[in-house]
Amino acid sequence: MKKIHIIGIVMIVVAVVLLTNAAGDMSTYASFQEAEISQQRVKIAGELAKDKAMEYRPEVDPNYFSFYIKDMNGVERKVVLLAAKPQDFELSEQIVLTGQMDGEIFVATDMLMKCPSKYKDEEIYIKSEEKEI
Amino acid sequence: MESIQYVEEHLTPGLIGRLAIIIGFVAALFSATSYFASTTNPTDKRWINMGKIGFGIHSLSILSVIVVMFFIMINRYYEYQYVWAHVSDELPLKYIASAFWEGQEGSFLLWMFWNIVLGIILIFKSGKWEGPVLGTIATIQVLLNSMILGVYLGFGDTPYKLGSNPLLLLRDTMDAPLFSNADYLALIKGNGLNPLLQNYWMTIHPPTLFLGFSSTVVPFAFAVGALIKKDYQGWITPVLPWALFSAGILGIGILMGGAWAYEALTFGGYWAWDPVENMSLVPWLILVAGVHTNLIAKATQQSLKSTFIFYLLTFILIVYSTFLTRSGVLGDTSVHAFTEMGLENQLLLFLLIVALIPGGILFWRWRSIPNPEKEEPTSSREFWMFIGTLVLFFSSVLITASTSLPVYNKIRQLFDPTFIGEVITDPIPHYNKYQIWIAVFIAFLSGLAQFLRYRETSVVNRWKKLIVDWGVALIISGVLGGVILLWIDTYVWQYTVLLFSATFVVASNFWYWFKILKWKIKLAGSVFSHIGFGLMIIGVLASGLNENIITSNSFLMEGVIEGDDASLRNNVLLFENTPVKIRDFQITYSGDSLDLYTKTYFVDFAKIEENGDTTERFTLAPNILYEKDFSKIAAYNPSTKRYVSHDIFSSITALPQVEMEAEIKREKEANLNYRLQYLSFEDEISIFDTVTNETTGAVTINEFRAFLNGIDRKPKHPEYTAEEGDIALGLAIGLYDVKAPDKIYYATPVMVIRGQLLYGYPVQINPLNAKIKLSEAVLDIIFPDESQIPYREIKLKKGERYSVNSSYTVTFEGFNRSPEHPNLQPKEGDIYVGGQLKITADNQVSYWTEPVFLIRDNQPFYLKTQIENIGFHGRFVEIDPTTETATFSIGWTEPVDSIPVEIATDSLRYDYIVLEAKVFPGINLFWLGATLMMLGLLLAVWPKLKRKYALGS
Repeated sequence: MKKIHIIGIVMIVVAVVLLTNAAGDMSTYASFQEAEISQQRVKIAGELAKDKAMEYRPEVDPNYFSFYIKDMNGVERKVVLLAAKPQDFELSEQIVLTGQMDGEIFVATDMLMKCPSKYKDEEIYIKSEEKEI
Repeated sequence: MESIQYVEEHLTPGLIGRLAIIIGFVAALFSATSYFASTTNPTDKRWINMGKIGFGIHSLSILSVIVVMFFIMINRYYEYQYVWAHVSDELPLKYIASAFWEGQEGSFLLWMFWNIVLGIILIFKSGKWEGPVLGTIATIQVLLNSMILGVYLGFGDTPYKLGSNPLLLLRDTMDAPLFSNADYLALIKGNGLNPLLQNYWMTIHPPTLFLGFSSTVVPFAFAVGALIKKDYQGWITPVLPWALFSAGILGIGILMGGAWAYEALTFGGYWAWDPVENMSLVPWLILVAGVHTNLIAKATQQSLKSTFIFYLLTFILIVYSTFLTRSGVLGDTSVHAFTEMGLENQLLLFLLIVALIPGGILFWRWRSIPNPEKEEPTSSREFWMFIGTLVLFFSSVLITASTSLPVYNKIRQLFDPTFIGEVITDPIPHYNKYQIWIAVFIAFLSGLAQFLRYRETSVVNRWKKLIVDWGVALIISGVLGGVILLWIDTYVWQYTVLLFSATFVVASNFWYWFKILKWKIKLAGSVFSHIGFGLMIIGVLASGLNENIITSNSFLMEGVIEGDDASLRNNVLLFENTPVKIRDFQITYSGDSLDLYTKTYFVDFAKIEENGDTTERFTLAPNILYEKDFSKIAAYNPSTKRYVSHDIFSSITALPQVEMEAEIKREKEANLNYRLQYLSFEDEISIFDTVTNETTGAVTINEFRAFLNGIDRKPKHPEYTAEEGDIALGLAIGLYDVKAPDKIYYATPVMVIRGQLLYGYPVQINPLNAKIKLSEAVLDIIFPDESQIPYREIKLKKGERYSVNSSYTVTFEGFNRSPEHPNLQPKEGDIYVGGQLKITADNQVSYWTEPVFLIRDNQPFYLKTQIENIGFHGRFVEIDPTTETATFSIGWTEPVDSIPVEIATDSLRYDYIVLEAKVFPGINLFWLGATLMMLGLLLAVWPKLKRKYALGS
């Protein structure tokens, strides 16, 4: 057996160990209920509850933005993001939050939004054109 | 269905373009077939000539398509879907190229364009490799060309659409009632380029990145050619400069993406381990590994197999990354926005073709590739270089595995629909914790191996020298690292190790350059690249770990490895002209200015030392870009102050709602509680305002005092631009809170009559949460009905007086050749003169006024003046030059003692911004190092080209 083979095997072993370890960095999207039980940092995917109030009053606290999210099971919880309200937040179709539950409130440290693409805007655009005709 | 005869359409360019796309496709297919045929019939020159001709026709066709596209885009032919989607009338010409490659079809054309450029160079330069190399490139062109074909395959109700044609007409791609109008073109406007993309990065980043993508096909094509020709050694030398060039350009392309994110977008960083970034980095890492095995193969004939694997894999990964980023499979794991265009299956086919066919040939030929029986000695350079390439490969595997998680989820879901996909909870620490050790390995390996020699079986006879070289490098790096540690913090021992590995690679390569290469630039490509790598790592450590958020109270390093709290509590609220002291800085939002759609905010920074001294002052100007209709904000642009040692980055993160959304502004304005108040010149009036505290329910009463300070007939207001013929009125009003009577705020709300329309320009007094506008009732008072004024004519010579009712005396004080009047804007040929009048009331108070007599185009005009306090109206109606007598038409109305204005005291202040500001120390080391790394790769091409031409001549 050549030395290079030994090194190769060592690397494969290390890779397997690392990737197995990395499984700990991964998780499925949790629900609010699971987050309540586990009390750990989780990722939650859900939709903005558009009928509930959103609160961002920079003149009071520029780092406090709260809103309601409906998770995949339809459970609604108040979410607090300790940052400014992102642009086009209301337009988001899906929101992915990273954070954990603090009592009844989900405190998010990171948020990703999936917004409708530009191409959909274009359809709206031409429809509004039609109205004028 | 009745066919409509559309008007104003330009159909010819589309016909030419669509035809050229098809010709291009067929020609590429023809060229690929001929070129590959030439490899099996090397003696028959006709095949290779046919391949050349095919490639030539293909090139001309694709260039024609590009020319046609630019032609219709520059001419704004909105009948074409692509033009309508990416261009608008307002789009400056300099962004036409950006609009061209904004869409998928345009970016495929850009890719093909570079392939054509490289292909043509290779036709002349690749010699005996032309057949298989061009054959491979032509095949790739066939696949890329198919992406823009836009033809339907198969029959029945749902034929498969192959490619998306960029030259389709809008009315063919969309079904809308609009198209029942024959002149629909007059009704539509272009959508234009996304404002986020309207900057110079969008002009330079895509062509560079696509040249990088495109150039990876050359090593790939050489590898395929070598496998086909079974010439496993001959390609090693000609492919090397191409691979170096490709690695350099691709690297620069990736860096530009990072620079764009850092400079123009509000990401606040240059690298975020985003899937799109990862999948452009991985092919580069593999290509760099390939360059190293290629060097080994050139020097020792070892590592041929791994060179094949790496070069083939580079291009396969480029296609894989194209598939990931364009098919929408990444979904919600990436911040980059993607549009699904129905090309997923075609992209997958593209990937399978480039992966399976060359992979199959490699597998087939595997045993016939020579593999030296003798193993690389552990004391040789090639052994450690090879280990290095394995580490790079290993790094790529880890990144690809994590990034491909969504793909894995999709595949699992195909078989098991109930499977719930997994995601990485915190991507940045996940990637960092593995890649840090890769970087440490690479740094030590490249630092140590530089001093070893190829095929050196034993270092026994020069081990002393070797120890000295390594020792010197180690000492320099120790000192260097120690100095850097005085400047930055590494927080945990892992990062300290990384720092020393980085200083080691810098030190050892410098020492190598001096000791072995004697400072020769020509040979210093690898030295530059490795030093660049080291500097880049130091820059990453400095700017990433020591990133200091000025507008927050915590250092970012908290949780660099564990959790990512980067986006928290980083914003500060700044009221206009109210300094806020945070950390070492005093920050003041000092004003803003609007230029077309861009509103720029000026934020003054003053650095304050512990002893209270201000050491530096500077102003940052982050801006926002409104949508064209001002309905909302389209983009936020940061502003960065650059120093050699650090950058200070700032970005607006929020604004008052009324500034962000026009709808809310209108709503708020409509709901304001305006109350009519009569202000007089003499007395102040009181305004009472009842405020209920939301939480306690307590009621407080605020008292304001307001008074009239004057009437301004040529008023200024930030939103009002004066036009000829305007009748404008401004009231100067003073307002103060009785609790702070020494702080009087002055405002001049304006009302303008323009033609038949009345415009109001209210003024907000932010510190008092008050808003003032003029009431329409003011017009009747200030502009009374002229026919109701009892005018009388008086003739006066200079110095003469005229008395009215014994209470007023009018004195003509003389002519004025350069009079001023709010309605007088002199034009060429005008003749005008002012008549200076002094009006004395009750022999006590005197007023001066100057009506103007104007002759314009042989027409006389009498520009009236008015003194509201005494109700005086005056016109200058005639001049007798011989007697120097002036005729005035004067009249009196009721003196104006009070003027109605509307004042709302519930208009919440909106003179604030929410700002985020950060310091990135040592970020220039990152840019310097990364650039040096890529330039080193390009520099390495140079001696190889020279040698090649020296051999050729």
